[in-house]
Amino acid sequence: MKVRLLTSGFKSAYENMAIDEAVLVHAQENHQSTLRFYGWRPAAISIGYFQSLKEEVDLNECQKQQVDYIRRVTGGGAVFHEAEVTYSLITPVDGRFIPQDIIESYKKICQGVINGLEILGIKSQFIPLNDIVAQGKKISGNAQTRKKNVLLQHGTILLDVNVEKMFSLLKVPQEKLRDKIIKDVKQRVVGVRGLLGKKIEFESCQEALIKGFKKALRLEYLKTSLTASELIMMQELKNSKYSRPEWNLMR
Amino acid sequence: MIKKSVYKIPEGKLVKIELETTDNKIKKIKITGDFFLYPEEIISKLEKSLEDRLLTKDVLIKHFDYFWKINRVDCFGINSSGLTEAILIAKEV
Repeated sequence: MKVRLLTSGFKSAYENMAIDEAVLVHAQENHQSTLRFYGWRPAAISIGYFQSLKEEVDLNECQKQQVDYIRRVTGGGAVFHEAEVTYSLITPVDGRFIPQDIIESYKKICQGVINGLEILGIKSQFIPLNDIVAQGKKISGNAQTRKKNVLLQHGTILLDVNVEKMFSLLKVPQEKLRDKIIKDVKQRVVGVRGLLGKKIEFESCQEALIKGFKKALRLEYLKTSLTASELIMMQELKNSKYSRPEWNLMR
Repeated sequence: MIKKSVYKIPEGKLVKIELETTDNKIKKIKITGDFFLYPEEIISKLEKSLEDRLLTKDVLIKHFDYFWKINRVDCFGINSSGLTEAILIAKEV
């Protein structure tokens, strides 16, 4: 399968989510597939489409720590984006490369992450619906939406985990359980650096993932950048949707 | 008065309910959580469809089953019985 390969580097939450949607909308017309890798700067919390921002995130604390917050177009839970590589795959669902079945499509796309981690020396496996675990701990979370027969799946590959910082930004159902929750999450989540016991740079992880996806999905890369039309739409979505309370506080 | 519940669906995701009731019926409801519904935008229609529904297990489960079917909704981490349980817990608050 021929895909455009975009390595966007570090961008704000608003730009990142706006790019994903702009590429998705264009793919509905041009039927092109795009694989993008990116990071988040400043750090951000993203929440799932069905979550309530005020219920999940301490907005004052985000402001204090200069952490952005944003609602995704995909379901799933709140994610703290700081030390990680994020990917998004946008592709028509034609039943040939990407299965129509939702779980099967997660599995197939997640194999790209699994292959990439293997290149880095980490054995991992897909756990339905949307997780990848290594040594019994979650290292990657993934979320998918489908619009007009085009799929957008984005996911994170953790480089480092800072559970204390993450929970200083997230609300917990019962405050008195905060310490226990932090302890539990520390035992259930791991980053690439923690597993390998050495510093792996963003670019090295991205490189491994590019190779991993190539093998998993038999991709042929066309290295490129966003088109002028995608850039215009990205700016529009960033300004009129993703940075706006009407979207982020929608639920 | 808004009644709330937080319920972890067995083998599924976390569902949070905000519920207003009148005469053992749903007046208004908000369903949030880390689940997946396809298509996502159906959530507003689902919440609207629950207004005036009787707050009993049978009515709610049947309603959800029918709603998924006629709207061709795919659910992951959420199901009719889990949602019903979450709503009935909120009702009793």
